[in-house]
Amino acid sequence: MPPSRFLIPQGTLDMLILQILSAGPAHGYAVAQRLEQISRAVVQVNQGSLYPALHRLEQKGWLRAEWKASETGRDAKIYSLTRAGRRQLAVEKDSWARLAGAIRLIFNEGGQS
Amino acid sequence: MKLLNWFRFDRLEYGLDRELEYHLDRRVSDLMEEGLSELEAKRRARLEIGGLAQVREEVRDVWLTRWMREFVYDLRFSARSFLRSPSFTAAAVLSLAIGIGATAAIYSFVDQLILHALPVRDPGRLVLIDWKGDPVSTGFGSWNLMSYPICRDLQRHDRLFDGVLCRAATTITLSIDGAAEPTAAEIVSGTYFHVLGVGSVLGRVLGSDDDQPPGESPAVVLSYDFWRSRLAGDPAIVGRNVLVNQYPMTVVGIAAPTFRGVDVGEVPALWIPASMSAYALPGFDDLLDRRTRWMQVLGRLKPDVTAAQAQAALQPWFAAMLVEDMGRPGFPRITPERRQRFLASRLEVTPAPQGHSALRRRLAQPLWVLFAATAVLLGLACLNVAGLFLARGFARDREIKTRLALGASRGRVARQLLADSLVVALAGGLCGLALAPLAMRTLIEFLPHDTAATALHASIDRRLLAFAFAVSVAAGLLSGLAPAIQAGRRSLISSLRERAGSSGGVRLRKAIVAAQIALSLVLVIGAVLFGRTLTGLLAKGPGFDTTSLISFGIEPRRSGYARVDASRLVFRIHDEVRAAPSTTASAIARYPLLAGGAWNNQMTMIADRRIATDREVNMNAVTPGFFSTLGARIVVGRDFDQRDMRAADDSGPRTAIVNEAFVARYLAGRNPLGVLIGVGSGPDVQPNREVIGVVTTFSYRGLREESEQAYFPMLDGGEGVDGAGNFYVKVRGTPEQAIQSIRALVHAADPALPITYVRTVDEQVSRSLNAERMLATLSGGFGALALLLSLVGLCGVMSFVVSQRTREIGIRIALGARGSAAIWLVLRDAAAMIAAGAAIALPCVWVLGRLVESQLFGVTATDPATIVATTGLLATVALGAALVPAYGASTVNPTDALRAE
Repeated sequence: MPPSRFLIPQGTLDMLILQILSAGPAHGYAVAQRLEQISRAVVQVNQGSLYPALHRLEQKGWLRAEWKASETGRDAKIYSLTRAGRRQLAVEKDSWARLAGAIRLIFNEGGQS
Repeated sequence: MKLLNWFRFDRLEYGLDRELEYHLDRRVSDLMEEGLSELEAKRRARLEIGGLAQVREEVRDVWLTRWMREFVYDLRFSARSFLRSPSFTAAAVLSLAIGIGATAAIYSFVDQLILHALPVRDPGRLVLIDWKGDPVSTGFGSWNLMSYPICRDLQRHDRLFDGVLCRAATTITLSIDGAAEPTAAEIVSGTYFHVLGVGSVLGRVLGSDDDQPPGESPAVVLSYDFWRSRLAGDPAIVGRNVLVNQYPMTVVGIAAPTFRGVDVGEVPALWIPASMSAYALPGFDDLLDRRTRWMQVLGRLKPDVTAAQAQAALQPWFAAMLVEDMGRPGFPRITPERRQRFLASRLEVTPAPQGHSALRRRLAQPLWVLFAATAVLLGLACLNVAGLFLARGFARDREIKTRLALGASRGRVARQLLADSLVVALAGGLCGLALAPLAMRTLIEFLPHDTAATALHASIDRRLLAFAFAVSVAAGLLSGLAPAIQAGRRSLISSLRERAGSSGGVRLRKAIVAAQIALSLVLVIGAVLFGRTLTGLLAKGPGFDTTSLISFGIEPRRSGYARVDASRLVFRIHDEVRAAPSTTASAIARYPLLAGGAWNNQMTMIADRRIATDREVNMNAVTPGFFSTLGARIVVGRDFDQRDMRAADDSGPRTAIVNEAFVARYLAGRNPLGVLIGVGSGPDVQPNREVIGVVTTFSYRGLREESEQAYFPMLDGGEGVDGAGNFYVKVRGTPEQAIQSIRALVHAADPALPITYVRTVDEQVSRSLNAERMLATLSGGFGALALLLSLVGLCGVMSFVVSQRTREIGIRIALGARGSAAIWLVLRDAAAMIAAGAAIALPCVWVLGRLVESQLFGVTATDPATIVATTGLLATVALGAALVPAYGASTVNPTDALRAE
């Protein structure tokens, strides 16, 4: 494991899952793989927390789950984004961008002083 | 929505297992592709996911919050522990099943009859428009009567209403393909279906086009139920002619399936436009008369108008209309006081989402009384279960102490106990729901069975399920509260210090038993009052001899007879009935006895001066021999005879017979014979009927009523006879044989003429006591159950007390006390509880008594004899129940008692 990886901030996992699924439906393992890929360099995601998160998002109605044949032919639970989930993703992206912007602003000001 | 997950926990678990399994398998095969050994790959995969058990737990927390999940475990634990003590469980579940079942059954009727809105579009905006004041008119029908022209007037107020309808219930003779049958019908304005928002499944419903001048729109709509049951759902009926009272009308459509009219107690089979009322009500030609009230008027408010606003907005128009009405031709001459009352009239607009129902009006109060009784019974059942739990709590003392010692919080233990009571309550609720339809069918049996069916049904619907569930949970919380508080309060140290079988909680249990005795005393006193009302009414009887007396009715005018022909037929059948070998006497009355209704009006008489009666007199037209057939005695004067039976156009002297109550109220101390009386109270009334006799007082409308009555001779084709006949026949032999020969006889006279009813007068008496019998029987049943429950509770507590005091009693006996002293020791305790119960109950009886006063007859709600006798009886029975454990105490063997610990 590369030493520079840090733990994913609380609450961002949900957003990342929504983002991954916005590209198209996927089962849990595929989401885990994708998370692993995109975060390989930076973020460390505990795979154990993936499933509670998926179920939480399903409970909230942001994801829809269906048992369907996967690429290996075996039945897997395939998650896809609902309309509410898509809206939620937009909201979270927006608030994340604003938060990041605000923090950058604070850092910049701090740098000038 | 998390709650839903409770019910699919197992499926969720299974799905999660499969999902995780899939993840691991894929990871393992991927890792093996990277070159790891299978064993190593499996180890890595598990390590990455970080403990399967923990993942599962976390996902479960997503499904249900932890609190709820623990509660599910509590419930499971409770269920398991109940299965281990079946007798306790059976007692607790049965108590609650009785309570919840009875409450649910009565609630179902309260809901269906009183609370449930009509299955029409937006019923919340329906209002009933009624006349308050003196309408100076004649009315027929049930209540809230208005004339048809007023309904038409109101329809023009389209700024207040989205439509106004009027309707009247009646019975017609309907012939389809030759078979004639009395059938319930509703006479309605053309706006009826539109205002209610009810459509058709086939053809069309009635519309404003059907509000034609009288007689010009012979169209009827059939109800869906009637169409299915009587016509097997044959669609070809639409467009065909049927005969309504022998007049052909066209079936234009079938109404929507769920719609059963606006009266839950009187479901029509067909709807007839008001313009055809002359054919639906033979002889009725007052459709356009403003002074004839016979329909209920319902309106649909505009969305932004309230009932109060509509009422206020109608008043100016209504006041002007009253003045206008007085100037119309045909307005009766009335006294100045009456004119004032007429002009002070106003329209009342009240919300009527449930429509209009005569049955509701009659049964609402008895039903609320019964509902209150079941609530008391349910409270008692809860107390019973609370008592049982307290007893069980002591048995489980050791378990609870262990849990506390192991670090369980008091709240956690209390929650476990609450889960216990909830499990019992839900099981009780389920059993109660299973019992409820049985109780509901019994209840329906008490309702009168007439031509019009009621829409009441003994089935469990969603509303009842929701109610039973809510009641069960409430009952569970109530019955679990006392034990839970008790468990929460008991401190660990002190309870460890106490010896086994401490006295804590006994006081609570005694309080519970006292409350139970109080509740059952209230119910038993109620039951005795209603029982005395029923037996009192039955013992009093109608005031005439009902043995071997049968009655039946025919309505030839509904079979197409003209007035004169109809009454000729009635008299012909009368002659044949009298000549039949199975009868000894027969007479006809215009209006039936004990059927709830009467022909009534004020009367005017001239004795030494002219006076009007201060209240309405019940009137009837009868044939000679009516009183002797009933066995009612003519006290003074004579009965009617052929001399009095003049044709309508005969201008000879008219006669009347009044009853003793009439004489006592208006002609006291005077010779009633020769007094002239007339119908009505206005100055234009001509009292021209000479009183020729006085008859003993007997019941007319119903058994409770024995007021002033006046009888006129039934004239051939003239006033007082509308071509309908209610026959009263004294029979020889069994009523069944006589009924058979009467049926044959009517059939021979006209095969197409239906007999509207035929029954013994005893049966009629018992029908007229439906509500009283329902109250007496059900409250009696509830009282008996209540008594049983509280006796079981009392007995249980006393046994417990005895088992706790065994040691003390043993010492007393060892020191020379007699067995009787031990008995006294126990009975004294029981007597204290009974006295406390009575002390709580009696003020309640006094308060509740006012609510049921109107349902009673011949006994007041606070009748001292009833209360003293019932209390005494209950005390005796309760002491008797306490004797069982008390006797056990007296036989305590001192050596055993001292050894036992």
